[in-house]
Amino acid sequence: MFLRLVFESFRRQKRRKSIALLAIALGMSIATAMIAVGTDVGDKINQELRTYSANLLLTPVEDTLDVNLGGVSLRPATEGAFISEASLVRMKEGFWSHNILGYAPFLSAPETFSWHGNSLSTTLIGTYFSQSVHYGNESFNTGVRSVNSWWKVEGEWPPDYADWPSDASPSVLAGSKLAQLQHLAIGDELEVRGRKLRISGILTTSGVEDQAIVAPLHIVQQLIGRPDAIRSATVSALTKPEDAFARRDPATMSPAMRERWACTPYANAIALQIHENLPNVRVEQIRQVEQNQGKVLSRISGLMLLLTFAALVAAALAISAAMAATILERRQEVGLMKSLGAGNGAVASLFLTEAGLLAVIGGGIGFAAGALLARQIGRSIFGSAITVHPVVLVVVIFSALLVTFAGSAGAIRKAMRFDPAIVLRGNA
Amino acid sequence: MNRRRLFFHLLLKDIWVRRDRTLTALLSVIVVATMATVSLTVYYDLELRLSREFRSFGANVIVTKHDASLTSGDLSQINSVLGGKGEVVPVAYAIAATSANSRVVIAGANLSALRRLNSWWSIQDASASAHTALVGARAAELVSPSAGEFSLKYGAKTVSAHSDAVFHSGSDDDSRVYLDIADFTALTGVQPGTALLRIDGSPREIQRSIGQLRASLPSAEVEPVRQITQTQTAVLNRTRSVVLAASAVVVVLIMLCMVATFTSSVLERRRDFAVMKALGASNRTVNLLFASQSTLLALAGALIGFLAGAVVAYWIGRANFDAAILPRLILLVPVTLGSVVLALIAAMSPIRMLQRIEPARILRGE
Repeated sequence: MFLRLVFESFRRQKRRKSIALLAIALGMSIATAMIAVGTDVGDKINQELRTYSANLLLTPVEDTLDVNLGGVSLRPATEGAFISEASLVRMKEGFWSHNILGYAPFLSAPETFSWHGNSLSTTLIGTYFSQSVHYGNESFNTGVRSVNSWWKVEGEWPPDYADWPSDASPSVLAGSKLAQLQHLAIGDELEVRGRKLRISGILTTSGVEDQAIVAPLHIVQQLIGRPDAIRSATVSALTKPEDAFARRDPATMSPAMRERWACTPYANAIALQIHENLPNVRVEQIRQVEQNQGKVLSRISGLMLLLTFAALVAAALAISAAMAATILERRQEVGLMKSLGAGNGAVASLFLTEAGLLAVIGGGIGFAAGALLARQIGRSIFGSAITVHPVVLVVVIFSALLVTFAGSAGAIRKAMRFDPAIVLRGNA
Repeated sequence: MNRRRLFFHLLLKDIWVRRDRTLTALLSVIVVATMATVSLTVYYDLELRLSREFRSFGANVIVTKHDASLTSGDLSQINSVLGGKGEVVPVAYAIAATSANSRVVIAGANLSALRRLNSWWSIQDASASAHTALVGARAAELVSPSAGEFSLKYGAKTVSAHSDAVFHSGSDDDSRVYLDIADFTALTGVQPGTALLRIDGSPREIQRSIGQLRASLPSAEVEPVRQITQTQTAVLNRTRSVVLAASAVVVVLIMLCMVATFTSSVLERRRDFAVMKALGASNRTVNLLFASQSTLLALAGALIGFLAGAVVAYWIGRANFDAAILPRLILLVPVTLGSVVLALIAAMSPIRMLQRIEPARILRGE
């Protein structure tokens, strides 16, 4: 009998039920989309930030000071310590392998270049542009083109030669300020240490590179006779913004806390892992990037979470209003049921069962629609889909039930308070 | 009772007698107006709020004069372009020798301004007194491995300083020693040729200031720090798009939800409608009655919603940005207009449907 009542109610009041269902589905798709976007936006913007700047700097432990004045390095290539280029890839060993997005090694030396009878002294910088690197059985491309994506080249990026090319002069980049001052142009050939380099592009970075010649790493290594040597490397790693816990010294922690510290992608934890893999390398946070981006990120995530919260409250209120509206209009039904002898409990359980059914169906539809919306937002803004965690479905269905019950309960109580006779006469 | 009084009587009586129905409809309008106000207010304020966060990144523009120093005229030009919105720190560089005769880059600047500009430097402070030098972490290992007093030679002159403020930055600065500008000039005689500028504002404002600086300082080179300015632009654009997209989704869906509630509550009044028609009311009068009722509800809802939205936006600003997001009165216009138009659409479409049915059939209960 009870089931039949429920079934008939759905069959006969299609319009009323579909409006309630629509309201629940709309509200719940808001909830799904906002939860998904709000919780994912931090990660998405973090990845975005990582393409704009590296956040860790590797230098040899036993190194002399870099004497760098006005963008020109005055330290000769023979002085100071080096890191082995081949060992660099070992930074990916261990737990944080996937958080290390890329790295760019650097080797610089003051050199004297000559062309057309002119000569000039400036820094020669060697680096990876987009070098393919093998690690275990995976291979990936890394270099300044991905790690320092603010570097801009007019002309062509040089290839990353494995060895000195036998058929032509290797391509290099000239810094924009240097090119302007010395009237260098694309296609010019420079001579250094008796070997020729061809300028394939003009580089703008707004850093020291603007006054330097930037060449593929292996070319510079050959030129200065230091195979496998690099001076420093910048690493782009996905990190969690630093908090009070991150700043504590891991040496003073209990083993359980130390494990939690080491398993959170703080810049310090990743730096420690790199240092453990490469013991003769000093790993330093590029604090300008790491500290400040963390701050900006937490502001953005915080804003989205608050907006999500506001949207959730709004969706809950909207659903409650819709449920209350449909039930308030069913006073006559309540009056009829009560005059036929139904108790308050029976009436309430009928209405709540209906509401529950609507909530589950509406929540399901809303979840699917919201997930789709979140995906679209991710695709169109970040170029990568935002995936919705399945646990959100449980949360959504549960909160749909909660909200519809809350919205219905008040209205049902109100409807039951009226005298059935008055309601049926139509004066209430 | 004349027609006009009857009309208002009907209008108000209906709203009052069916208070709960009115309240649910009102609630749905309020929710829409609140969310619309919150999203619009936050969206408009976002650029300003986030740009403030980018202040902490430090210098975003560098002014250099090659083979010359910045004159006091140049500096006052820079200050007038900035108009107090930012920080200017002139810096001079030279190469000195340590007592063990190794070379180190020394720089002269107003040390407290430099610390303000580079707020991310982690400084280990041994003393609370004013400093004579800020020593980069790597330079510190060289100039004074045991901490304390150290001296630097430049030509024939020597300067001594305390290495009680050692900083980590993770950049070239770690290999430098920053001296107070007065000590630096006394030692080297070199005047600042570089100025580090932090220009506060949105990417567009920064770009405009760069243009003005280039025009007023033709002999100097004015370059944005691309890494910082590009990050700021990218982060701002993405965040604005996300907030806009999310708000659009929320506002549109919640609007649909409101339209559904509104429509259903009008449809439930088919009996009232039929009785009015049966008593001889014209279509026009009935339309007017329903329309004015919806407008009234929408106006009240929009006003309450705007107030609630302003409070929520204010609170979001306080909670997240430590600075209130103030309400924008101008937003009251679109919020109110939108609510009224929506309420009218939501109310009038079911009326049109009902008008096609004979009143007698509705009253008979079909």
